[in-house]
Amino acid sequence: MRWAKALHRLWSAVVVIHSREQLADLVLPPLQELPGVRAVWGLRHATAGDGVLAYRWQGVPLTEDRQAVAAGLAPKQAGPPRVVPVDLPGITTMVICRFDEPGQAAGTIMVGVDGSADTAFVAECLRQVVEVSQEAVRRLAAMRDEQQQLMRDALLAEASLQMDAVLDTTQTMYRVPRMAVPAIAEGCLVFVHEDGKPVLRSAVHVDMRRLDAMLREPGAVERLATPGEHSQVLRARGRVIGLLVFLFDRDPDRIPPATFLRDLAARAALAIDNSTLYEQRRQEVVRMQQHLLPTRLPHTAGLELAASYTVGDRVLEVGGDFYDVVVRGGGEVAAVIGDVCGRGVDAAALTGMARHTLAALLHEGLSPARALTRLNARLRLDGSWRFITAAVALIRPDGTVEWTSAGHPAPAVLPVDGEPRRGAGGGVPLGILDEPRLKQTRLELAAGETLLMFTDGLTESRDADGRMFEERALGAALHRLRGTGLQQLIDELSSAAEATDDIALLGVQRSAHE
Amino acid sequence: MNELVLVVEDSDEDIEAIARAIGRSHPDVRLEFLRSGSGVLPRLDGAGAEPPRLVLLDLNMPGEGGLDVIRQVRARAEFDALRLVVFTSSENQAEADACYAAGADSYIYKPINFALFQSVLSQTLDYWRSREPNVTQTVVPPPGDSSAQA
Repeated sequence: MRWAKALHRLWSAVVVIHSREQLADLVLPPLQELPGVRAVWGLRHATAGDGVLAYRWQGVPLTEDRQAVAAGLAPKQAGPPRVVPVDLPGITTMVICRFDEPGQAAGTIMVGVDGSADTAFVAECLRQVVEVSQEAVRRLAAMRDEQQQLMRDALLAEASLQMDAVLDTTQTMYRVPRMAVPAIAEGCLVFVHEDGKPVLRSAVHVDMRRLDAMLREPGAVERLATPGEHSQVLRARGRVIGLLVFLFDRDPDRIPPATFLRDLAARAALAIDNSTLYEQRRQEVVRMQQHLLPTRLPHTAGLELAASYTVGDRVLEVGGDFYDVVVRGGGEVAAVIGDVCGRGVDAAALTGMARHTLAALLHEGLSPARALTRLNARLRLDGSWRFITAAVALIRPDGTVEWTSAGHPAPAVLPVDGEPRRGAGGGVPLGILDEPRLKQTRLELAAGETLLMFTDGLTESRDADGRMFEERALGAALHRLRGTGLQQLIDELSSAAEATDDIALLGVQRSAHE
Repeated sequence: MNELVLVVEDSDEDIEAIARAIGRSHPDVRLEFLRSGSGVLPRLDGAGAEPPRLVLLDLNMPGEGGLDVIRQVRARAEFDALRLVVFTSSENQAEADACYAAGADSYIYKPINFALFQSVLSQTLDYWRSREPNVTQTVVPPPGDSSAQA
């Protein structure tokens, strides 16, 4: 009756263990309690060869010399309990039983008894305990497989999420191995084919110092870049773009199946390819944008000029902002800024035309109002549905500024000390009315003061704290940047805003000493 | 490996998850929790306290962050054998480089999913366990190479 209870307790206990390490502590003690039992020894066998991975015991300890005896007594194959006479201190007989579970480490339990024991009863009890143990091992293996599957599914999902979150190639290539290590491999390297050669672009290891030392060995990088057992080709849109290499330093049964590694590589390849394409396209946009703007601003006596153009975040089409500066006779300088609505090739063509038209007319000596009127007429003639906001600041040597606006954001005047002053906007964008409606105002630019002209990309962007620039952040940024050099002011202002749209900035500073 | 791991972590959720994950994968490993980086050196210096062989470190904690802890521990040669594992959800590569430069042994990604979380911790412990030098190993001098034998 006592044994039946012990066995029942055993069955209830083994279903809650999480590791094979816990098994011996559960299954050996009940056998030790049987009458005449002096020792209960447990051996965990290696999956390949005759080695023993672990020795566990109750009663007479499995000292090193006895471990050799125990290993010698262990049957080579699973089978029913066998009774073996032995000559060990206090032990006359061993009742031994081995169990095998495919793919798992086999186990042997041996019960050492003295002459008083009922060996037939002990053998029956041992058979039952082995049954429980085998079931526990089977259950642990199933649990581990399930856990591994869950983990791999989660890794694929989390990796896809992480990789899709960035459009930067370097970041993408870093995130792939960072996700993989050490969940599925101890190390992971990304090679990308550049000019036909594999280039190591990212490497992560659970032990970076070890990886660094390994990579410093002569020929190591080339060796790793050679497709091998644990590497997966990165293929996107039918093209091989690189190689994903996994480094394993774990039991073979913990190495994920090749199908899983292939799946991960496929997702990585797609993410890398997407970010590469994105970067190429963006560089093209930036390059084309540069062609639409003056390559350099003119030198002007008594005025310092600076400009910047920021392409909006994640923008993949050419935008329509423009600026230019024209030096006229009599020391007059005309500074032009404008913004064609929309993006893309059509907007770009119109941007080029608008800038050149305004610059040429202003250069010929036309007044800003007439130049803007001529541009308006041209837009109406072409039947373009696009409109343009534009403004011209005509700066005279005495510092007076004639500001002519066609629906363009008001400029700001930054004094040497004190708070910035905002000019007036007004007027209607060009291309809408047959007779343009322009707003003309006068500003005074004292020595050392700066006229800041910009497009609505600035005022409609947000600062790092998420505040709309128009509301308060522009004033705060201008206040903070008081006294900085003109180019620095322009650069910092363009980077202070989180640009969702393009931003053009043009600054004109009147020299402090004339 | 000594079976004590010191966990420096200020988030209740992460403390619970780490305890649950390691409790399942490595029931033989004992965990000791510190809620801030400032407690690490006093704990390591504590007379009679069992020395851990691995510290699992969160990076972003109020007060002394993980990076400070790495620098302080690595400034002391007697803790050279102590493994410092940074466990963070940050994706900042510069931060990883800074941690390695300061002397961290591992910089491990902290996943959201629990199965993955458990696997990451389990593999990290297994790795450093397998790299543990056998401290009982005795070096036998080659024959005739030791004057002490004479």
